Amino acid sequence: MDAAAQSPLPGLVPAASQQTACVIEQVRMARDTYRLRLECPELARQIVPGQFFMVREQGGSDPLLGRPFALYDIVNNDDGDPIGVDFGYVVVGKLTSRMVDWQPGDTVDIWGPLGNGFPAPPDGHLVMVAGGIGQTPFLAVTREALGQRQYGDPPRDTPTRPGTLTLCYGARSEEYLAGIDDFTTDGLQVRVSTDDGSHGHHGLVTDLLKDLFRESPEPTAIYTCGPEPMMEAVAEIAAEHNTPCWASLETPMACGFGICFSCVTRIRLDDGQWDYRRTCVEGPVFRAEQLQW
Amino acid sequence: MARVPDLNVDLNRLRLANPILVASGTFGYAREMEAFARFENIGAVIPKTVTPQPRIGNPPPRTVETTSGLLNSIGLDNDGLDSFVEKHLPYLKELPTAVIANIAGHDVDEFEAMASVLDSTEGLAGIELNISCPNVSGGVDFGTNPQLAAEVVKRVRGRTSLPVIAKLTPNVTDIVAVAMAVADGGADAVSLVNTYQGIAVDWRKRKPVLGNVTGGLSGPAIKPLALCAVWKVACQVDIPIVGVGGISCLDDVLEFLVAGASAVQIGTANFYDPGLASRLVDELDGCLGELGVDSVGDIVGTLESAPAAAPAGKTTT
Repeated sequence: MDAAAQSPLPGLVPAASQQTACVIEQVRMARDTYRLRLECPELARQIVPGQFFMVREQGGSDPLLGRPFALYDIVNNDDGDPIGVDFGYVVVGKLTSRMVDWQPGDTVDIWGPLGNGFPAPPDGHLVMVAGGIGQTPFLAVTREALGQRQYGDPPRDTPTRPGTLTLCYGARSEEYLAGIDDFTTDGLQVRVSTDDGSHGHHGLVTDLLKDLFRESPEPTAIYTCGPEPMMEAVAEIAAEHNTPCWASLETPMACGFGICFSCVTRIRLDDGQWDYRRTCVEGPVFRAEQLQW
Repeated sequence: MARVPDLNVDLNRLRLANPILVASGTFGYAREMEAFARFENIGAVIPKTVTPQPRIGNPPPRTVETTSGLLNSIGLDNDGLDSFVEKHLPYLKELPTAVIANIAGHDVDEFEAMASVLDSTEGLAGIELNISCPNVSGGVDFGTNPQLAAEVVKRVRGRTSLPVIAKLTPNVTDIVAVAMAVADGGADAVSLVNTYQGIAVDWRKRKPVLGNVTGGLSGPAIKPLALCAVWKVACQVDIPIVGVGGISCLDDVLEFLVAGASAVQIGTANFYDPGLASRLVDELDGCLGELGVDSVGDIVGTLESAPAAAPAGKTTT
């Protein structure tokens, strides 16, 4: 792990900033699921896979707070310079219901990049296990792991890369599968499960992970993002196989950068006890064995 | 031509470079704000409440958004006084602004002991007493009992030469009585107000939303309530007031100043507009210049309320 990841607040980002961003486009990805593209070059230049940012409507007080969104991918101009970010969202609440109406040219508040992000890609067989909109961070992880794109300022090193890369993606049903086209790329194996069997494996996404451990090459590292019960099950499977696992948590946040102490999660301490720690500045990506589920 | 207004604020023994402060619990330990704030623009930073011993805080969910407001029950999650002095104070004292420690104890002895420790440290401009947290057992008791509130202030004053601010709870029948008591006890100023107790209900699950059931409401939703508390106390008690409650723009700041606050704290707005506090002093400076006001103090308490509408005990002129 790099030095930043070992500091007590690995997710505190000194280069973060608050900006006004312009909506570039909005695309429907799946049922109740959309992708927004915002113009924000500074943030796009700095962000790495697994980091997030807060987005808020300008003016007004209802909704009051920003909401955290994970990077889907950065957007580069024709010269290859980052100019914006894409993120996915599901319409679930007050802000996301309004975001559907955001049009190109609208301006919004954004602050970030925030959080630690996933570590640079390890070698071996990296498996990404996603549930629902939890697939979001894995497009950028994929592109970095495949050497298709670099992230961070200066661009972070990827001295190692996985020889095999797999995405296990579970959703409620086929109509909720978002971004399958984006994930269709040479070098990435995609396996899908749905709760109702309308696409791929009929059952849990963790079944797909269990299958991978019966095949060759076996998974050597796991990144997971999605509902907590799913991530807990993934962490359990990883532990059974002594495979390192990183989970990206999505705890409710008020600020996103460490001042409100809302987004706490239980982290195991060396002495066997646990303590609440802020997901935003100590995560959102944690080693699974740190988490007291 | 616009004049350059004097932004200095005197809260009895505490002099600050400008009246825009940031509220305890909404600015972390300042380090978290480095990317967003210009500390030199902030009149004083008040870090998160410190308690004598580490506190793990309340179980999540700790916050829930309500209409134009935020309900929180963090539970004074902090690593305790020793850790504050060792880990946070060395950073805080290097900031180009005043730092006011906010402390809470379970009893008067604990407040006294903390004041002693902080008095022996360097880098603090004052102490704010959190006698008003609605989310911990014992926390709010001091602030609802005028005699006890006065006792805390008096005993803390006996242990430190630092200026002392009492942060009061609005969850009382008569906040004026509490303000009067802490003024008599020797407080240099009062901060009005801490959060209003509330709950959020998930009716489908038949459960409270917050892990701690009840929480404290902050944000724009409480601004008229906080403004009213400031106005009432300003009319009847001779003590500088630091107004706090839902301030999110320059107009809000000016409303509090006119209603009788000598300074203000930005709280919940730091969560969703982390650059706000740093911008406000520039905006205030520009506005006062345009108004032709010599000093920010000239507009404090200038509300022309009809005598009949003013609280009993003092007539306005």
